[in-house]
Amino acid sequence: MSGKRKMFFYGGIIGLIGAILMKLGNPGNMGLCIACFWRDIAGALGLHRAEVVQYIRPEIIGIIFGAFGISYVTGEFKAKGGSSPIVRFILGFFLMIGALVFLGCPLRMILRLANGDLNALIGLAGYVTGIFIGVQFLKKGYTLGRSIEQTNISKYIFPIFALVLLIFLIIKPSFILFSTEGPGSMGAPVIISLILGAVVGVALQRSRICTAGGFRDAILIKDTHFLWGILGIFVFALAGNLVLNFSKFNLGFVDQPIAHNDFIWNFLGMTLVGLCSILLGGCPIRQTILASQGDTDAAITVFGLIIGAAFAHNFGLAASANGVPQNGKIAVIIGILFALSLAYGVISSSKKNSNKEGVKNA
Amino acid sequence: MMKEYYCVVTFDITQHALLFEKELKQHNLGVKLMPAPRELSTSCGTAALVMCEDKDKIISICDKNSIPINKFHKLEVTNKDSWFTKRILKK
Repeated sequence: MSGKRKMFFYGGIIGLIGAILMKLGNPGNMGLCIACFWRDIAGALGLHRAEVVQYIRPEIIGIIFGAFGISYVTGEFKAKGGSSPIVRFILGFFLMIGALVFLGCPLRMILRLANGDLNALIGLAGYVTGIFIGVQFLKKGYTLGRSIEQTNISKYIFPIFALVLLIFLIIKPSFILFSTEGPGSMGAPVIISLILGAVVGVALQRSRICTAGGFRDAILIKDTHFLWGILGIFVFALAGNLVLNFSKFNLGFVDQPIAHNDFIWNFLGMTLVGLCSILLGGCPIRQTILASQGDTDAAITVFGLIIGAAFAHNFGLAASANGVPQNGKIAVIIGILFALSLAYGVISSSKKNSNKEGVKNA
Repeated sequence: MMKEYYCVVTFDITQHALLFEKELKQHNLGVKLMPAPRELSTSCGTAALVMCEDKDKIISICDKNSIPINKFHKLEVTNKDSWFTKRILKK
């Protein structure tokens, strides 16, 4: 099978599973959503008190186990990290703010589009704009530094975190919160979610599909290899929805599930997500996969996502079907300004360093 | 059967790949930026496909112009039907 076809097929697995999970009970257009699912987990752990979005999403546990298992078998499970962890944490934090203003990560954006939600097109335009801005910084030398080998034990921390989540999901201790109404109360059967999540984890680890990477390569090096994966997600999710969820297919901007149609903030929310994803070197799903295969920098980023979700609800930043709260709008602007300043600062400091090296070597 | 090879250069940061491409094109050497091959990396960073026989010239150009490269890889073509292989053999 050719590389592009393989990418399309891997993406297709993910898109189809998104449609199946929605059919089996996941919230509308949320068969898979990495940002929403981490947000639900943050709620279940009591990090925020938005009672309608608290659930330990088994898909996330499955994705981590799937990526961990396949990387272990193929010898790619390796401890590495040490590349600006605090910067990654903050970028993950702001990425989540942007995602919760749009109401979905880039993966849900594609799945929303595949079920007729045209607000996702505005989100897509914002996402590509954010990526385009990020690419300009890459061209000027932006980097968070090279990651290095870490102590062996550190690679097990993220999979163990997933195991602890699984134990909480099974025994349901009283300190873990589960929604009784709203999106957090809706979910496909646990076992099926775990298994399909694991399939998604394997497909993503093998294919390296990254929504940000796909658009980045298309803009930066005119290469469409990863873009075929994104197209596969869309096409198969669309076909899956038309077959499995036809009664819920709704082409248009209004009355879309767990979405608002405030164009400006759909656009800017995803601009922030795109920019942060490029500065981090991957979108939320890619960060989750990398963390599962031993990348401690990606694990720190995921913890940034979780804390970002907690703050988004505690500080009233997250949007809802009613629209985007004032605090959320301010937070998105702060996030974009922060990300731009950070990228500019990184480039300036690396230029200064190279000038110093030049003087030293002269 | 004679083994066939292709060569790929990897970088620590994307900007180095862009500088590398620009410099090699100025010297009329074959170069194509691409996602790092799966065999080399679990990340989706940028790499450069080059002609194996140009290795010495490439190293010297990079030294002269202070373009840092991570590694010069020589890989055996294993799956002749893959898109990647076809792309190499077409060159």
